[in-house]
Amino acid sequence: MGPLYKFGFFGHFSSLMVALVLGFWFGFLLERAGFGNPKKLTNMFYFKDFAVLKVMFTTVVVAMLGLLYFSLFGWIDFSKVYILPTFLWPHIVGGLLLGIGFIMGGYCPTTSIVATVSGKLDGLVFIFGMMFGVFAFAEIFTAITGYYNSGAMGVVRLPQILHLPSGVIAFLVCLIAIGAFWAGEKAEKKFQDFEPEGAPTKRFKVTGAIILVILGLVLMIANPDKAMTKDQEKVAPVEKSVIEAPKATETPAAVEKVPEVIIGDDEGC
Amino acid sequence: MNKYRYSNPYLIGALLGVVLLASFYTMGRGLGASSPIARITAVSLDTVASDHTRGNAYLKRYFRSDRAVLNDWLVFLVLGAALGGLFSAAMANRIKGEIGRGPSITAVPRLLLAFGGGAFSGFAARLARGCTSGQALTGASELALGAWIFMLCIFAGAYATAYFFRKEWL
Repeated sequence: MGPLYKFGFFGHFSSLMVALVLGFWFGFLLERAGFGNPKKLTNMFYFKDFAVLKVMFTTVVVAMLGLLYFSLFGWIDFSKVYILPTFLWPHIVGGLLLGIGFIMGGYCPTTSIVATVSGKLDGLVFIFGMMFGVFAFAEIFTAITGYYNSGAMGVVRLPQILHLPSGVIAFLVCLIAIGAFWAGEKAEKKFQDFEPEGAPTKRFKVTGAIILVILGLVLMIANPDKAMTKDQEKVAPVEKSVIEAPKATETPAAVEKVPEVIIGDDEGC
Repeated sequence: MNKYRYSNPYLIGALLGVVLLASFYTMGRGLGASSPIARITAVSLDTVASDHTRGNAYLKRYFRSDRAVLNDWLVFLVLGAALGGLFSAAMANRIKGEIGRGPSITAVPRLLLAFGGGAFSGFAARLARGCTSGQALTGASELALGAWIFMLCIFAGAYATAYFFRKEWL
């Protein structure tokens, strides 16, 4: 049962190899989508090309459905998956600033790396800019610590806030995604002054939409929340013994710190 | 499909979703790219002004572990992303030394804006505890409230200011 690392299936070194492999495909796919090109990325904000929205939202929907189905089948213990706690105000202001950085600089952090390796000088300069931004943040951190921790709500998921089961939210997210894709394509048709690369056929889009609706509907009926809580009860005693075993092989101090420091509150990204 | 052209965004998104899911399944965590930049910054500053860096209220967290600052899961993820991006760009004959910009802006202003945009992003990602990957993609697929708010705010911030940067891109 996943997450494999948290159940002690492999150690730190292997986890780094996993990171290399996952990262490889992450970078590969971003480059394939054309996200090493700032014009392709920023076209979205002039309504010309919604590839960013399409890629991001499809990624979210697929990973969301996968997580919930995996919980439903008992393949993953959702309670062991790290979820970043919500800090309302820093999230709002941080999001707005990141959006400004995106349109001003032409990239977000990951895409600037992909751009740099494909030879874009502005991508490299963007990375240096980010390092300066980190430096500036660190320098004024003592002055804004209060703000940095404001609006703390702990780990909150949409199902709790909206008082709806995860399956229902998942179905709604599928519908919203389909609606956003449809609207994006409508806008593209109106504002686009070039032939988009890699545009899918209508059949591809309709089939995709139908699959999303079906997967969402099944989740709504199956209600993975029940499986999640059942898993937790069932797994709780087992997991302790599994986790204890590999811990002994490392120094206690390092192991104790791993969940706190390595996957700490600032490690979401 | 012509390999020299960009791919179908929905297909790429679906495959990225599988990569993200694989990350959840194997590691119990999502993807991310901004904290490695912060770690690299911390290491760079450490070589120049070690006491100041290690004493900094924010950066000291990176020196707390017994492991080296760069011996970190996300650092290796970003290393992999650089390799993957390089491999894909090489495969598609897209490696070219150039400055990505619109037709109506010259090189120097574009590079200054790239630096400024990077500075905004670097600052923002620390403030929000994550970036487009770690916060928006990862958190949103977990249905985390903060991630959805963050993602909407990214788009709001970019759309609200896109007008002022139109000469850079159009």
